[in-house]
Amino acid sequence: MTINHHRAEQMLSAYLDGELLPREAVEVQAHLLECSACRKAYERLRETKDLLGQLPVAEPPAEFWTAIRTPRALPMRERLRWRPPVWRWTTWGIAAALLVLAVALVPVVKGTVDRLHAAEIGVDLYVRDHALQMSHEPLVDRAYLGLITGDSDLKLVGEPARYGEGTP
Amino acid sequence: MRIPPLARTLAVVGLLILVGAEVNLAASVPPVGLPAVRVLQMALEAPRLIDYEGTKVITALKAGRAETVTVSEWHKRPDMMRLEYLSPEDVAGRLIVDNGTNAWHYEPRLNMAFEGPTFEGDLLSRDLTLLHRNYRLTSLGVDEVIGRQAYVVVLDPVMPGVRRQFWVDRATGTILRSEERDPDRGVILSTYFSRVSFSLNLPDAYFRFRMPGGARVYRMPSAEAGSMSPAALEQQVRFPVLIPPVLPEGYTFHGGALSRFGSLTSVYLRYSDGENLISLFEAPAGSIGWPSAGQPVPGWTQPARLVDLGYFRVLIWEQRGLRLTAVGTVPTETLLVVARQLAAGHEQALVTDVSRRVESDPTVVRTLRGEGLTFPEVARALVLSQRLGADPRTTARFVRGTLTISELAGQLRMRPEVLKQAVQDALREAPTVPPALAGR
Repeated sequence: MTINHHRAEQMLSAYLDGELLPREAVEVQAHLLECSACRKAYERLRETKDLLGQLPVAEPPAEFWTAIRTPRALPMRERLRWRPPVWRWTTWGIAAALLVLAVALVPVVKGTVDRLHAAEIGVDLYVRDHALQMSHEPLVDRAYLGLITGDSDLKLVGEPARYGEGTP
Repeated sequence: MRIPPLARTLAVVGLLILVGAEVNLAASVPPVGLPAVRVLQMALEAPRLIDYEGTKVITALKAGRAETVTVSEWHKRPDMMRLEYLSPEDVAGRLIVDNGTNAWHYEPRLNMAFEGPTFEGDLLSRDLTLLHRNYRLTSLGVDEVIGRQAYVVVLDPVMPGVRRQFWVDRATGTILRSEERDPDRGVILSTYFSRVSFSLNLPDAYFRFRMPGGARVYRMPSAEAGSMSPAALEQQVRFPVLIPPVLPEGYTFHGGALSRFGSLTSVYLRYSDGENLISLFEAPAGSIGWPSAGQPVPGWTQPARLVDLGYFRVLIWEQRGLRLTAVGTVPTETLLVVARQLAAGHEQALVTDVSRRVESDPTVVRTLRGEGLTFPEVARALVLSQRLGADPRTTARFVRGTLTISELAGQLRMRPEVLKQAVQDALREAPTVPPALAGR
């Protein structure tokens, strides 16, 4: 049985995290092969997860741990009377703000990564496009243009075009 | 002496065979002294008539030195190609298989396969109007290449540019040898067949790519098929599309497309003179990093770099938040002319200037600019439109070389020779360079 587009879209995040039952995972996988919109959504999710995974783990302030441990250190009578102090709410507020900031930074981080990648591919991408279009001009030598586009293909996927040649 | 009837019959049959062979030979080998235009036509028609297989030696300028590459080349009519690179060692084994629809590139040392567009393109519908306008075609007689008779023809650009010489096989029309010469650097590309066999009727299977086991496959993006005007492209991107106000004489807008790679979207404008191509790429400056390759361009106020790859030259510069990249097999000065004219800007002032000089509505000038025409082309199209009573879009097509004089004469119901004279008279009066650009 196959799942519909709406259901598959809802299950993408769980599929990415490996939280689906094997049967459900197979269904989502089958849908991804057929649906380009879901494939794009899946790729976006995967990129976001990768980027979030690369962010440094934010260390909470020392007071945060004190706030957690303090009630346990108190005797039972005191613990019963204990109420969360104002600064404990502040700590939670800071943590929430950090989380929102991290999520907001995702597009910025992604943009920077894309720019760094584009810096590597700029000349090769344009030379490849030019060589491919040039091959449509009359009387050009396609064997030589094939050599140029072949070198560009390799550089665009991050491989040196020839032995011992670094990417420019 | 009486000749027996059998001997007489044999003699007549023998004579007929000899005459037939002579006729056949005359049909397959055109006479010496064929006009250059006819030789060029033979060379252009050959790929769809002939199959061949041969070994080609290519010597090209690469990063300041000459590199020699040997490749086995198979061609099946009309548009299939297989290339197996043999040397130098660092490309040995590279394979390109083009079935006329798409091309596969296989790299054995990495077990990687790349799928991309065909190299043959619109091989069968090439228009030579621009080539005839911008190149002098000369015949240099007959020469011998690997023991075969070949016509030698030269394509000399009217304006400074790359001169091309071809040795065209007399019997088949296949280019056996070619040479490209840059005015500054001498020979930049030379190719010749060291061995070639014709009319093999090569099997289709040679031109079908078989994926090697375990190969990593990449579907390479390329500029979108079809052609869009700069105005149409601007509707699809979030940045202004700059159109060169003036180009080196002979070059005209040949098509536009979007080029995408990951999140990088660039506008790709192509300019052709009929045989050579200048590509102009535009993208937001922030979306692409500054390359480390190349040299700074002396005398430029804005950031700019020139990357000399040998056969191709690349000029990269920034202006008004855009990264512009021009690529071509042209003298450096030609790329710099394109860049300087773009960097000068003043689009609005030039629109006003040209519309005043040709007494036309600025909106019409802007519309033709949006179609990719340079200001001199806009001026010519409008002057012709006024003199001939034709629609400006039609005269713009004629100015760009996508409409021949015979086709235009047909549309206007005029005799071609009368129209030719009228065009010459009108263009003599047209402002060739807007004064606002002169002297920059």
